[in-house]
Amino acid sequence: MKMKKMVALGLAGSLVAGTLVGCSGKGDEASGKADSGVTELELFSSKMESVSTLQSLVDSFNEQNPDIKVTLNAPADAGTVLKTRMTKDDLPDILAYGGDNRYTELTDVGVLIDLSDEDFIKTINPSYMNMLYQINADRDEKAYGAPFATNASGIIYNVDLFKEAGVEVPSTWDEFMEVCETLESAGIQPFEFTFKDGWTTLLSWNPMAADLQPENFLFDRKDGKATFTGTHEEVLEKYLQVIQYGQADYMGTSYDDGNRNFANGSAAMLINGSWTVPELKKTNPDINLDMFAYPTTNDEAKNLTASGIDVLLAVTTQCKNPEAAKKFVSFMLQPENSQQYMEEQFAFSPVEGVMQEDESVASLAKNITDGKVVDFSDHYYPSGYDLAAILSEFFLNRENGMADQENIEATLKKCDEQYDILNVN
Amino acid sequence: MKKSRAKVAWPFYMMVAPMAVLFFIFHTIPFLQGIFYSFTDWKGFGNWEFIGLDNYFMFFKDPTIRQTYWFTFKFAFCATVLVNLLSLALACGLNGKIKGRGLLKAVYFLPYMLGTLIIGFVFNFIFGNVFPDLGKALGIEALSVNILGTNKAWLGVLFVTVWQSMAFNTMIYLAGLQTVDKDVYEAAAVDGSKGLQRFFKITFPLIAPFFTINMVLSVKGFLMAFDQIMAMTGGGPGTSTTSISVLIYKRGFDGGQFAYQSANAVILFVVIAVISVFQLKVLEKREAKIN
Repeated sequence: MKMKKMVALGLAGSLVAGTLVGCSGKGDEASGKADSGVTELELFSSKMESVSTLQSLVDSFNEQNPDIKVTLNAPADAGTVLKTRMTKDDLPDILAYGGDNRYTELTDVGVLIDLSDEDFIKTINPSYMNMLYQINADRDEKAYGAPFATNASGIIYNVDLFKEAGVEVPSTWDEFMEVCETLESAGIQPFEFTFKDGWTTLLSWNPMAADLQPENFLFDRKDGKATFTGTHEEVLEKYLQVIQYGQADYMGTSYDDGNRNFANGSAAMLINGSWTVPELKKTNPDINLDMFAYPTTNDEAKNLTASGIDVLLAVTTQCKNPEAAKKFVSFMLQPENSQQYMEEQFAFSPVEGVMQEDESVASLAKNITDGKVVDFSDHYYPSGYDLAAILSEFFLNRENGMADQENIEATLKKCDEQYDILNVN
Repeated sequence: MKKSRAKVAWPFYMMVAPMAVLFFIFHTIPFLQGIFYSFTDWKGFGNWEFIGLDNYFMFFKDPTIRQTYWFTFKFAFCATVLVNLLSLALACGLNGKIKGRGLLKAVYFLPYMLGTLIIGFVFNFIFGNVFPDLGKALGIEALSVNILGTNKAWLGVLFVTVWQSMAFNTMIYLAGLQTVDKDVYEAAAVDGSKGLQRFFKITFPLIAPFFTINMVLSVKGFLMAFDQIMAMTGGGPGTSTTSISVLIYKRGFDGGQFAYQSANAVILFVVIAVISVFQLKVLEKREAKIN
């Protein structure tokens, strides 16, 4: 009896571990050429926010090209879905993906087609092509994807509240702190933070780290020649200064709640990205917004706008008809189509000559066309590096009353430890 | 029940065989695959190599793993004790001839009918909006912030987990209590036993098998806590509520550590199996002693 129970338990356990460890089984067959002579292509998008815009672009492409049928697939939690499909060697034909470390992994395993010689690559702003090369696995100057849309993070501010307090947009760190002081003394809460969703802690880290870290730090860190300790103290010190001006429950406010509060005028500034603007407008269509670049230093020339490749279009090696896929990419990068995406998604186009004209992001758009941009630092950290968790622990320590200096040291030590663990793989 | 070596009718095999095959294909093979990959450096795609026991060595050096194990055990222990205490009390109450018993049973069973994710999102809202507003209105400092954003976040998750899990355990205990013969109580009453004494000397020993199953299932379930954490805190703030399963999911699928987290899953399986077998042995011995 007892033996049987143990066996049953063992089997039950393996059931449990089985679901955790591996997911086997074949998915749908990759779409190929249908009998009718129409080439079927799957477009896999990682952004659920842009489904309707992409769909309308896909529809007009399909209309113009009766011999090609592109189907859009934008699942929730796309990163995980793509990864699972990669394990099964079942890649989509065209990817619309972010220019982050997942792209680096994709180029590393060599599943993307080199698009360097295509005409459409020549229409793209060189600063974004450079950004793309930097995230290639071996940093060579090959385009395994075409940047399609870029985003920018910075500080979204409520124009009316700024007017009410009589403050101007700051362009240096000192001015920035003064603005916070003035707002606070006018009874306006300077910031709304949304750290319940850990990733929002990265929005201040990224521009500060990009402007304040030593040159070449990201690659030196990778090669083990530099550490966060000794280079990033100022980032965290400044971060702690900014945090003082947030609401009391900054750790417990979620992204959605915080956006709703901000849209209803709870605070003057929100540190996030261009992608947040549509959310805010949805809550309060009458809100008067603009964005400015994060003034991280007192040297105005050094204060770059953190801007990254939000969507790039790539063709995979599993695509049965690469020419058709390239045709689609080329279509997407035509100015009028690019313009449509930018207008509907408040994004910025890397295509030369396509401008973002919405006034909600006007100040940033100028920086971007001027090329005053720097990529998000976290695009260069190893995949799986959970900086957001480290930073939210940093603020948890602060709430628990840990002394700032001790907290900064402990946090940077943790940054290095975690980095080293992941860097060996 | 006489044991005989007579031929067993074929329908019995027919009933078991298909399930055994399916079980083997969908559970045993992936499980073995997982063990296999835990000896490699597979990221989840691309090329891989055998790296022997490196993943297991790394496991014992990784501070995040230590932290998640500590959290998971603390969480599982508290949840198991609370759930079993409370649901046993509830079951005893519901077994009495109180008014509105049927309605109460339904009410207490309701949380079990709802998906854990849904409950998680609902409580996310309650902790994030309802409680803080209430705290501010009443001027209670501790209540005016979202508990899920503090270092007490795990208590928030624990509360919701206990609230939901009680339903199932209460039902099992209630079923157990109904198997207790009324005559036993009458005999006990004649001997002058009542109240707590009656509970500890008669009721509790008689429902011992139900206690065993509840304990084993609770510990196993709470050691694998996943959905409520994903829905409420996503493992945060920091990594303070990251359970082992959450870590495996986050790092394994999203973080390119498929092989390493497979090793973690294998270890979690061994840990759970050992604990469950140990529990069964101890608790069954206890059952045997009192029966």
